[in-house]
Amino acid sequence: MHKQNKFTVSHAPFWHDGDSIGETNKNIMVAALPAIVFGIIQFGMAALGVICLAISSAMAWEALFQFISKRSIKIGDYNAAVIGMITGMMLPATVPWWVVIIGTLVSVVLGQQVFGGIGANPFNPAVIGIAVLSLSWGNYFDFDAALLNYQFDFTALVPLGALDHQGPAAVDLFSTQGLLMGNQVGAIGSVFGLGLIIGGIYLIIRGYIRWEISVAYIAGIVITAALFQMSNPEAYAGPMFHLFTGYTLLAVFFLAPESSSSPVNLVPMLIYGIMGGVMTILIRNIGAYADGTLYAILIINLINPVIDMIRPKALGKGVNNA
Amino acid sequence: MIKRSFIGLTAPRLKCDLVEPGPREPEMIPMPPRLILMLDEALDSTKETCIRKGDTAKKGERLFLYKESTRYVTAPTSGTITLIAPFTGDFGKNATYLVLEKDDKDEWVEGISEFADVPDLASADGVLRTLPGAPPLELLAAPNSSIKKIVISGMDSDLMSTTRQYLTSKCMDDVKNGIELLKNMTGITDVFMAIPEKMSQLSAFQGMNTIKLTEDYIGTLPQMIMKNHLGITPVAGTTCEDQGVCFMSIEAALSLARAYKDKAPVFDKVITVIGKDGGVKRVRAVIGTPIHRILSQLGLETQEMDRIIIGGPLKGFSAYTLYHPVQPDMDTIIIQDSEQIPGVSDYPCINCGKCVRICPAGVPVNLLVRYLEANLYQEAVDSFDLDACIDCGLCSYVCTARIPIFQYIKLGKHEQLMLEAEMEAEMETEAENA
Repeated sequence: MHKQNKFTVSHAPFWHDGDSIGETNKNIMVAALPAIVFGIIQFGMAALGVICLAISSAMAWEALFQFISKRSIKIGDYNAAVIGMITGMMLPATVPWWVVIIGTLVSVVLGQQVFGGIGANPFNPAVIGIAVLSLSWGNYFDFDAALLNYQFDFTALVPLGALDHQGPAAVDLFSTQGLLMGNQVGAIGSVFGLGLIIGGIYLIIRGYIRWEISVAYIAGIVITAALFQMSNPEAYAGPMFHLFTGYTLLAVFFLAPESSSSPVNLVPMLIYGIMGGVMTILIRNIGAYADGTLYAILIINLINPVIDMIRPKALGKGVNNA
Repeated sequence: MIKRSFIGLTAPRLKCDLVEPGPREPEMIPMPPRLILMLDEALDSTKETCIRKGDTAKKGERLFLYKESTRYVTAPTSGTITLIAPFTGDFGKNATYLVLEKDDKDEWVEGISEFADVPDLASADGVLRTLPGAPPLELLAAPNSSIKKIVISGMDSDLMSTTRQYLTSKCMDDVKNGIELLKNMTGITDVFMAIPEKMSQLSAFQGMNTIKLTEDYIGTLPQMIMKNHLGITPVAGTTCEDQGVCFMSIEAALSLARAYKDKAPVFDKVITVIGKDGGVKRVRAVIGTPIHRILSQLGLETQEMDRIIIGGPLKGFSAYTLYHPVQPDMDTIIIQDSEQIPGVSDYPCINCGKCVRICPAGVPVNLLVRYLEANLYQEAVDSFDLDACIDCGLCSYVCTARIPIFQYIKLGKHEQLMLEAEMEAEMETEAENA
């Protein structure tokens, strides 16, 4: 027998659709670009600095933690970059550098790595980071104060903050169109509603997020806000105002559909999304916080494993053998 | 390789290849001087084999490994056994291969045509089990056989394969004879013919029980044929055969018809060979021919680290040597370039849900794979429907984290079977002791 080649031997299937974690994350970053670029135009180079620092520090934290915990270092899959990017998108442009670095530390390490890394996080890592920051250094999340030195040619007030203080009269200060086009004060990546919608639709069409979650989330927001408004138009703002302010659109397309912390079956996805929308409005209208999105996301992340048990019967299960 | 489309809103639908219009006759591969015959039985060094090195075999002679063996392989030509060696397959499956060096006499064993006198299952099972297409005679002839329906599959079992479709379009008369023969032998009248809907000579099958299949891969899976066309819902944890449906390749029916016509077993098998460039060629080779003979005759070259796929891209297996022989159920050989091979990873599941959306059996693959990775096989069956899996391989095909899910599933099923066997043995010893 002559000398033989060595062949690759492995188990079927021998084909793959070519998707990968890196590819998915790259697409999420591309989808976030319109919102981020607009944020940089609106808030200047400071915003660029925050985003860059957030992405790079998140990757550094992941690499460091993986090194310490003796796992293989996998920052090349952009997983930490996406977490850092989304954390950065939720920060105001003027936030001090150390807040960014602590934020990404909490996001990447406490939010994900301590649970076992990618795929094991029960909560959205970026939301964990921002929730911890906003509880610890809440003054930096007072966007009105943070952006005091900016000159805007629109109402320089945080819409939800104004709503909280002034009641629905504040709604008249903002036009829906203006909110959609980013004429509002807020976090770097959350002000440009249209950009977030474009990014979200891109992700949905490419199949990188589950559209059911986003649609259900929007439905939850719209229905709950509309019910509140119908019950008492004097006290509550309408659904469109809620939809285009605060972190809502970011939550709809980037926070809630985060794959590890969200369900995969149809009915659970709808419950999860609607719950997210309902909780957001409940916290905003009844709770103490002006923007309840962060806690709404954490609550639906919490119920995800339980509701995802609702699933169709597998083929041939529960049929009589007779 | 079919890549993900730009739009990923819905789960991808994989389509089976259809046989090209006006297919050419398969190229004949001359019988090589040495044939490699596979025996589905492990070689036991403590027992004495009844065939030995140096023994001669005649054409059509059945070769048994041990005296008490029930498995056999039929010698496709007369010659001398020059080697008996163990062969290791997937999941520790052991088999034995025999090398048969042919002499030039091509001498038939005596009394070979006796089986053809009266077509019945027992005598056919005694001689024809290793016919091309591997007819499931053992299953049909079993005394407690519960088979009530037979589906003869003219549609191939995997994406790129077109062997069965080719035979369906070329040998319609023999197919009809084969079906009549099967009906006579088994007494089963419910014989269905599964054919591609787009076949050009569909009318030739008029008057027969036909099942028309689209190119959709999922629809060609046996369990799906059962569910969609025979109205039998597959029960998790049982095979189609357990539920009384026997699937058989069209080549098996053809070989039976030919064997009864010639009053002797036949040994040549049609195989679709697909090169690195995707070029499709068909050959006719004798069972036992090492595949390097086929590749060299077709001028197909292989390099280090390429992959030799036998069967198909989703459900096949990869051979580790070019001396792998043609076997009765081998429909396709695909050469995959080393650069085309998608890698697997050691990532955990990221819960993207693509597997759940594509799974035709509704298995919660995202949860199942976590239990399989942790070797929790009983839990995997009890709570996460491991037994409902119908082995299509699509979950691994779409996995974003590139987890070898299908391999985990196969391993899980294998381990589960071993556990069950162990438990049964324990209970038996307990019962004996009591």
